[in-house]
Amino acid sequence: MLKSLSVKLLAGTGALIMALSTPTSFAQEPYTVGVEASFPPWAYVEAGEYKGIAIDAMRAIAEDAGLEIEFKDLPFPSLIPALSAGKIDILATGLTVTEERSEVIDFTVPWWETNDVVVVPKDSDKNVFTAVCCGARVGVQGGSSQQAWMEENVIPSDIDIELATYDSYIIAINDMTTGRIDSVIVDDTSAQEYVAAGRPVEIAGKIFIRAPLALAVSKGDPKGLLSRLNPGIVQLADSGEWQKIVHEYMPDITVPPVPSHMPEFVDTYQKPVAGLPELGN
Amino acid sequence: MGIYEVLVRDFPFLLKGLGVALILLAALLVIGFVLGLAMCLIQLYGPRTRLVQWPLIAYERVFRGIPIIIMLFIFYYGLAGLLDITSFAAAILALGFRSAAYQSQIFRSAFQSVPTGQMTAARAMGMSKTRAIRYILFPQAMRYAIGPWTNEFSSEIKETSLAYVIGVVELTRQAHYIISSTQGNVLIVFAVVALMYFIVNKSGNSLLYGLERKLAVPGFGKR
Repeated sequence: MLKSLSVKLLAGTGALIMALSTPTSFAQEPYTVGVEASFPPWAYVEAGEYKGIAIDAMRAIAEDAGLEIEFKDLPFPSLIPALSAGKIDILATGLTVTEERSEVIDFTVPWWETNDVVVVPKDSDKNVFTAVCCGARVGVQGGSSQQAWMEENVIPSDIDIELATYDSYIIAINDMTTGRIDSVIVDDTSAQEYVAAGRPVEIAGKIFIRAPLALAVSKGDPKGLLSRLNPGIVQLADSGEWQKIVHEYMPDITVPPVPSHMPEFVDTYQKPVAGLPELGN
Repeated sequence: MGIYEVLVRDFPFLLKGLGVALILLAALLVIGFVLGLAMCLIQLYGPRTRLVQWPLIAYERVFRGIPIIIMLFIFYYGLAGLLDITSFAAAILALGFRSAAYQSQIFRSAFQSVPTGQMTAARAMGMSKTRAIRYILFPQAMRYAIGPWTNEFSSEIKETSLAYVIGVVELTRQAHYIISSTQGNVLIVFAVVALMYFIVNKSGNSLLYGLERKLAVPGFGKR
């Protein structure tokens, strides 16, 4: 009995390894869209379904451009490595355009613009200055543009703060409400969501950085997606569909013009922009 | 909608996540069992040349000495240039290969618990080395191994919760979904998830202890 069992085990393992190594590439496979599905209102999962502005907009763009897509959820710090490693074809989340990122991935034209805000607990007596100085512990999401901004502009100065990095902003906000950290730096779009959801937090002040958000593809755009995504984004906004999607998730927000501010340091924003030759720096 | 209603509505998805975790667990334990047993047998009874033994020692040291989260990243991103594998396959291989290193040591200590005189006696009675291992040592060693193996089972079910870092949507990730879509409730959601892990762990342990009792030879090897 034991002998036949071990033979079965061996055969089972063999079959498993074969199944794992069988190449899954077909001639017309859908493009994989990487999302961080715990990042409302941009992308999240509710009752087993992908939802959010980036999800709905991506679906609409794909439909217009005749692209077949499937979503793949990865934690935020893994998304850019996954794009570089070719594990995903398109990155669609609330992704901020930064100079470092533009060196390893290619951005589409920006579809949103955010500024960062300082969030503090509701009963806190801290203002925007005292919340980010004098020994305060400040929370950010690991790998986020807010972390990069803080490390570039605040940490090297003689302002005495300690940066606490988290896997997600939800956990950071939670830690702040239990008093482990004093404030959280987050984009204004997310912050308005926390307030709207009734979390005991308030916005102490704004940091104007005019950070654009965009979709991204692998560096060098090997699959030629930029020339299909860029016009798709602009078309979505021109048709009014984009505003409708945004207002479904954030009813009171002012929608910035599309394409919004395009920083000079991004190489894919040089004239002519793929698919939109009249635009660019 | 309150958090409890959301939990009830989304409970099927938590169960689905648990299912993914259990498939991952089963696959990694099978890989670990087959490879681990093979490595243990070669280490104990295989050729004693360095050419065979050193790679085994190196394998065991490497896989026991590197944090699993790093192994997961290496298997998923590091192998991207060589072999295009899915998140799930990468998780099975990373966790399975590591479990093999641990299980080889569980089996090694189990085989070494059988008194060496038994092998000598079996050989003196004219049994071949293979037959002696198969019919004399193996049945005893496997009985000794169940206890420590239960421990391996318990730690691996918990390790599967790390597979979300490379995009395997298992129980912990499903919990993240609920936490982020309801903007909080960390404690309640993770308490439910912790309970689910605990139940699986407890039932698995009970089954394995039951197996240990069932296979026990009366009057022999009572420890």
